[in-house]
Amino acid sequence: MTATNQAPASGRTRQYGPVALVLLVAALMLATTANAELMIRVTKGTGEAVPVAVVPFAESGDLPAGDDISTIVRNNLEMTGEFTPLSAERMLSLPSSGDDVFFRDWRMLGQRYLLVGNVTREGDRVRARYELFDVNSEQRMLGETSTTSVNNLRTLAHHISDKVYEALTGEPGVFSTRLAYVTLDEHEGSPRYRLQISDVDGRRASVRLESREPIMSPAWSPDGKQLAYVSFESGRPEIFVHELATGKRTVVASYPGLNSAPDWSPDGRSLLVTLSRSGNAEIYRLDLDSRSLTRLTDHWGIDTEGEWHPDGDGLAFTSDRSGGPQIYIKDSERASPRRVTFGSRYNARPRFSPDGEYIYYVHQRDSGFHIARTELDSGDEQVLTRTGSDESPSIAPNGRMLIYATRQGNDNVLTVISTNGGAAYTLPAANGDVRDPAWSPVLR
Amino acid sequence: MNTMMKQSAFALVLSLGLVAGCSTTGDEPMTDEEMSAVDQDGGASVYGGDGDGGISSDELRDEQRRDQAEQGASGDDAAMRRITTFYFDFDTAQIKAESRDVLAAHARYLANNPDVDVRLEGHTDERGTKEYNLALGERRANAVQRFLVVNGADRGQIETVSYGEEKPAAMGSNESAWAQNRRVELIFR
Amino acid sequence: MLLSLVLHGVIVVITLMSWQWITPLEEPPEPSISARLVSPEAVPPEETTAPPPQPEPDEPAPVEEEQREQQEEEQRRLEQEQERQRREEAEREEQERLEQQRREQQAAAEERERQAREEEAARERAEAEAEERARRQAEEERKAREEAERKAEEERQRQEQQRREEEERRRQEEERQRQEEERRRQEEAERQRQERARQQREQQLEQMAREAEEARLAEQRRREQAAAARARETEMQNERARYVSLIGQAIENQWYPPSSAREGMSVVLRLTLLPNGELQSVDVVESSGNRAFDNSAVSAARAIREYPVPDSRDTFERYFRQFTIQFEPEI
Repeated sequence: MTATNQAPASGRTRQYGPVALVLLVAALMLATTANAELMIRVTKGTGEAVPVAVVPFAESGDLPAGDDISTIVRNNLEMTGEFTPLSAERMLSLPSSGDDVFFRDWRMLGQRYLLVGNVTREGDRVRARYELFDVNSEQRMLGETSTTSVNNLRTLAHHISDKVYEALTGEPGVFSTRLAYVTLDEHEGSPRYRLQISDVDGRRASVRLESREPIMSPAWSPDGKQLAYVSFESGRPEIFVHELATGKRTVVASYPGLNSAPDWSPDGRSLLVTLSRSGNAEIYRLDLDSRSLTRLTDHWGIDTEGEWHPDGDGLAFTSDRSGGPQIYIKDSERASPRRVTFGSRYNARPRFSPDGEYIYYVHQRDSGFHIARTELDSGDEQVLTRTGSDESPSIAPNGRMLIYATRQGNDNVLTVISTNGGAAYTLPAANGDVRDPAWSPVLR
Repeated sequence: MNTMMKQSAFALVLSLGLVAGCSTTGDEPMTDEEMSAVDQDGGASVYGGDGDGGISSDELRDEQRRDQAEQGASGDDAAMRRITTFYFDFDTAQIKAESRDVLAAHARYLANNPDVDVRLEGHTDERGTKEYNLALGERRANAVQRFLVVNGADRGQIETVSYGEEKPAAMGSNESAWAQNRRVELIFR
Repeated sequence: MLLSLVLHGVIVVITLMSWQWITPLEEPPEPSISARLVSPEAVPPEETTAPPPQPEPDEPAPVEEEQREQQEEEQRRLEQEQERQRREEAEREEQERLEQQRREQQAAAEERERQAREEEAARERAEAEAEERARRQAEEERKAREEAERKAEEERQRQEQQRREEEERRRQEEERQRQEEERRRQEEAERQRQERARQQREQQLEQMAREAEEARLAEQRRREQAAAARARETEMQNERARYVSLIGQAIENQWYPPSSAREGMSVVLRLTLLPNGELQSVDVVESSGNRAFDNSAVSAARAIREYPVPDSRDTFERYFRQFTIQFEPEI
């Protein structure tokens, strides 16, 4: 392009010197803008959590103590491992609306995003108004006014957290989802098992079932309205389906031997269960309407802990058919299951990531048990936890977080980590030991 | 090629033997010969236990028969039957050598008292995963059940249940606690 | 010269006329005289070849005496005239040599006159009586005089001739010299022409050499400039690479890819910077379709207060005034 423009221009130089010069300059400018523009390629970021400032919301009216919205939001963001919220003590100012914001202050503090807001009590309701800003662009990314009943402030705080998270990450937040887990404590000399449900931050826990016998393996239905679990209340393991809204419970599997490890199919119409009615632990599909069974594994070894692939085609499960527990995937493509873990002699309890690209599991290494994941395409394995007695991984519905049970001192606790191996967050201790966490789907 | 065929043939024989070992846990009682076949063919491989378990088991069977004869003569089974908990190594369902005399005494007792039922509760230590441990506990209970049946108990007298790691006998995260928790308990009614 | 000749001529004519005028009786001169005038050869007195008997000089006749006196007077007057002429000549002419010659000729003429008079006297003595003889003698004398005149005239003419010859010689010499001079001049001109031609050629050669040198210098300058341009280009490329790396690093340090970022996602921003590295504008030119991802890139670009940019303005203008950044995570 430059050449074709220059040739006639130089030919006319004597007569049209200035014109030719202009043409030449224009050609060069065109060349720089159209052809030669520099492209810098950036393929990785800081690898660190995003600095974000959540300013304490201004409050007016009598609000319940301990349910400060901004604190809940800050904790939620921190729990993800993707954000490092600025502590309120370090803030130079405490704006409660966009009009009061001096972006320079927040830039000086190295903050990338800023959330400001205020809460007002209006009778039995509260109204929260909040705004999210990009500190560098000085642009508002989000602005909303929400109201809720005065005893539902936490729900509002989680809702705001979800909105903020989605605006910042492009993925739905999971702060309004719930956790199911089992606690065990001694009560008047006898054990007390409790099936509980709480917010993702462990707050607002409620007991849904209490038993002197073990309760195990809670599993959420895809719509989040039912739980399946194993209860030993009859003295032997049986699988129940529990309707949360009504408390109505149904035994769906009570075969001789094992009735364990329920997992809902993506369509919610069947469960994967482990039964040993044949004398050996095998995985079956249990149709919830007809209660009919379809055997999915057939091996003299232990086959258990089945989980449906997120798209419903095939399952992952644990089998010790190779001599020790390893993870296998059975799908419609292959007649026989393929083993997907090889990193150590003990890999069990598989859980797919929501996109089906990873499988998470309990992995023994150096006599400790950790949570690890393997990328199914590459087979690359990554150990995610440093704690040593880790069990029962359960993946958040957005795939970004994972909750698992581990030991902290003599206590069994639940810990949330980022699925990329980021910051860990231990849920506030409930009474006694906590085990068997299950992360709910997004609730609607 | 030749090697592969040999290997395949060996694998076939092995798996047949193992499947036979598993499938015989059905209603028909397992014979002594079958039990010994399971141990010889698959003991180490199937349950992943120590390799010397199989070897010592032959010696023990001789001892066992001798003891059985002596015990039958002395009528000292009652003392042995006070032991109702039997321990296992990590991630195995292999009955330990020292458990066999006692289990045999229990079997004779059951055989002699058809109206007595026993419940076998299989347990594991806390390590590993809950559901897998539940299956492992069941396998331990089943192993004991088979032993009892082989040694004269009626299958109808025996109920098995696995609690996996849910009901540890000893608290703590150490080898001593774990060893006490990898167990099958016999509960007579 | 011409004037002198004319004057001589005039004098002679006057002399002759006056002489004829005072001797009206004299017969007209024989035509032979003029014929003899042709021969410029001097002197031999032809009369002597058949000399009449010499009259005795001791008996001068009164007529003769008178004639002689008359003659003498005539002679004196002539001499005086001649003398005057000579003087005039001497006055008018400054050439000593000719004067001398004339004087010598005069002397010779006097001698010859004297001899002629002696002969006349002899003859008069011999032919004392005869008028005829006297007349003849007078005639002879007249003839002699005429002869002398003629000889003098001849001599004069001879001298004149000589002079003319001399003149001619001189003229020729002058001509020769002139020609020589002309030749020399022409030679000089030729030489000068050749010299000029040579100089011109030299100048041409010098000019050519100068032009060649200039061309060489120009080529050298051109090469040096081209080399300098190439060197500058290389330098700019190096600077470009360096600052691309620095900017890339700065962006990496400010970029927090959101959790929704996936391999294969790409957003392209166009940045416009000020020469001090300050960000003037940033635009999304190619969206990833994921707003959070796009925002994270824009935020990273805006987070850099001062971009690392090269000091050299041309590099800045060429590459860093405006450029694009592609954010394409490798996860």
